Amino acid sequence: MPETEKNAKQEAVIQLIVFRLGDEEYGIRIEQVKEVTITPEIARMPKTPSFVKGIANLRGDIITIIDLEERFQLRPAGEELVATTYTLAIEAKDYTIGIMVREVPQPLSIPVSIIEKAPEFIQDINIQDKYIEGIAKINGRIVIVLDMLKLLTPAEIMQLQPKGESSAAASRTKA
Amino acid sequence: MKSREQEYREIFMAEALEYYDAMSRHISELERNPADEPALNELFRLMHNLKSNARAMGYTQIGEAAHHMETIFGLIRSKDMTFTGPVVTVLFDGIDTIGEMIRAVGADQEASDISFLLENLDRLVRGESPILEDTQEEEEANRKLELSDLVYIQIKKLDHLLNLVGELIIDRDRVLTLSQEIGNPALMAAAAHFSRIADDLQYSVMDARLVGVGSLFNKFPRVVRDVAAAEEKDVELTIVGEDIQIDRNILQIITDSLLHLVRNAIGHGLETPAERIAAGKTGQAHLTLSAQTERDDVLIQVIDDGRGIDVESVRRKAVERGLVAAETAATLDPDAVRSFLFEPGFSMAKQVTEISGRGVGLDVVKLAIDSLGGQLRVDSVMGQGTTFTLVLPTSIAVKGALLFVLDERNYAIPLMHTDSVVSLMPDDFHVVGGMLLARVQDENLPVVPLRRLLHNGDGPLAPASKAELNGRQDIIIVNYSNRKLGLIVDRFLRQQDIVIKPMSKPLDTIDLFGGVTLLGSGQVCLVLDVPALTRLFLARRP
Repeated sequence: MPETEKNAKQEAVIQLIVFRLGDEEYGIRIEQVKEVTITPEIARMPKTPSFVKGIANLRGDIITIIDLEERFQLRPAGEELVATTYTLAIEAKDYTIGIMVREVPQPLSIPVSIIEKAPEFIQDINIQDKYIEGIAKINGRIVIVLDMLKLLTPAEIMQLQPKGESSAAASRTKA
Repeated sequence: MKSREQEYREIFMAEALEYYDAMSRHISELERNPADEPALNELFRLMHNLKSNARAMGYTQIGEAAHHMETIFGLIRSKDMTFTGPVVTVLFDGIDTIGEMIRAVGADQEASDISFLLENLDRLVRGESPILEDTQEEEEANRKLELSDLVYIQIKKLDHLLNLVGELIIDRDRVLTLSQEIGNPALMAAAAHFSRIADDLQYSVMDARLVGVGSLFNKFPRVVRDVAAAEEKDVELTIVGEDIQIDRNILQIITDSLLHLVRNAIGHGLETPAERIAAGKTGQAHLTLSAQTERDDVLIQVIDDGRGIDVESVRRKAVERGLVAAETAATLDPDAVRSFLFEPGFSMAKQVTEISGRGVGLDVVKLAIDSLGGQLRVDSVMGQGTTFTLVLPTSIAVKGALLFVLDERNYAIPLMHTDSVVSLMPDDFHVVGGMLLARVQDENLPVVPLRRLLHNGDGPLAPASKAELNGRQDIIIVNYSNRKLGLIVDRFLRQQDIVIKPMSKPLDTIDLFGGVTLLGSGQVCLVLDVPALTRLFLARRP
């Protein structure tokens, strides 16, 4: 018996941080999460897509805060998030970014084997990198596992918006 | 402050001692393995450098010794001599003597007599055998190991130090604010002390990064000579204020700009001797590179006494290029017209020469100066010459800024680009062509509510109307490339030194903001970039 128990333990387990967006639960690998905090005061940045909420001071680091519900239209347009929100600080490739969520995110350990590949057609065809790593079913719950590093590329966040019309190049053509 | 001579001497000492150490190492390697060619080449190179440095500094004896040694190493390299027997002894002796002479310079002593060494070296060259003395024992007793008083440091490390100090200054403000709020006397005393030390540290780090402008200026005599020769002009260069200190990275960034301005001045600004004499000037043209401090800024000027800028021809060209409507152009004052020179692709060169007019214009210079938060100005009198002035911050870390409030948020605008602040009543405004104009100090300025400029989409601004102005309006007048623009804000806050952190990714592509700063309260404050803001206004004006 101890043998089989040992085997079970050796099966790869991943730890996720699970949070709610709209009506669904999403998970991120815990290594990609730097910290979870009550959303700090945000300074709005003009000239950014509206789901980019602005920038905030997180222990001396200035980070960008985004609202994924708005990004993926998971809540009726025009409706704002609840007053108190939490921010997941995610370590992207060479910067940290904050994701606003409405409830305290919870840790969850699951065996890697229960993560099923997402059907191809679910993937957003507009986005080159597939950021949905898979879908995990745990006791009737469904958790969508995201690969944040693919989701949070600068081009994706800025929606491939060119430098903005304030840049010299644009004003040159307009002048 | 140390005199320049003393500073140069210290630098010479540091380098010379380093050369000496390297020579001692390489000659030992060569002794172990006389076929070690890299060591031999290195010795030859080090001797050559030491010779040049010593001669430039006027230490002729060191120069002479190095010169003779270099000759011998050259002979060994070309296989005309072998590194064996008495040659080895004499060369070791020579390097030791050079070491002694360098130390004598450091200790401000007269150099010892080296005629004996030189004689031996000459004998070697002539193929005679040198006179060897038995000095080994005495030398051993006198041998000292020394470490240099100067350290070389990578600029990267200084950058890191400066960033850390920047963070510290933000925390210092925070601690000061908190201690005042809490009001505990012991805490306040400790915070005040902490604040003083943080200040000292900041200035020490900033000071460690300062270099003399001369380190850049001194490269120009050669540049001017070459360019003048190619352009067949006779130019005398005067350099003023090479002792003025400035942050090394700023100097690095303006290097290309200064080169461009000097080439331009010689290529376009200055006339040929024949033209000058015909115009009643001296045949030799004058070019001055000058540096001076003005409050916290450093002014670098490139002054020529050439033909000057023809404002009317610039005006015509600006209209031709479609930069401005003909009727507007006619009303612009000379300063405004000259600022067209900084527009991309605006070159006055009638023909492309080797030196200037290769399509890279003053706009590149302008961008470089903008990136530093500096200003570029041009003054010119027809027939008398042109002056380009670069107004640069001494240091990149700390900048004076004006804080203001817009929509309950704090913003900062660098003082470098702020002309003045005024408060005006609605009656002081006029609407002309859909734009608000205000009369300030005998000048009509375009004024725009900053809120509309920042938030209203990308299209042209809706025509302005006086109806939207209620009560007293706080206006910040910014100045960028001789263009003034009034920005209506909600409320002025105060003037403060701020440490600008670059905008973090992925928002660093938004050029409207030069960065962010943290206020003492811990609040994030966006720092507006005036050049980008001015360009945005020009692109969106109704």
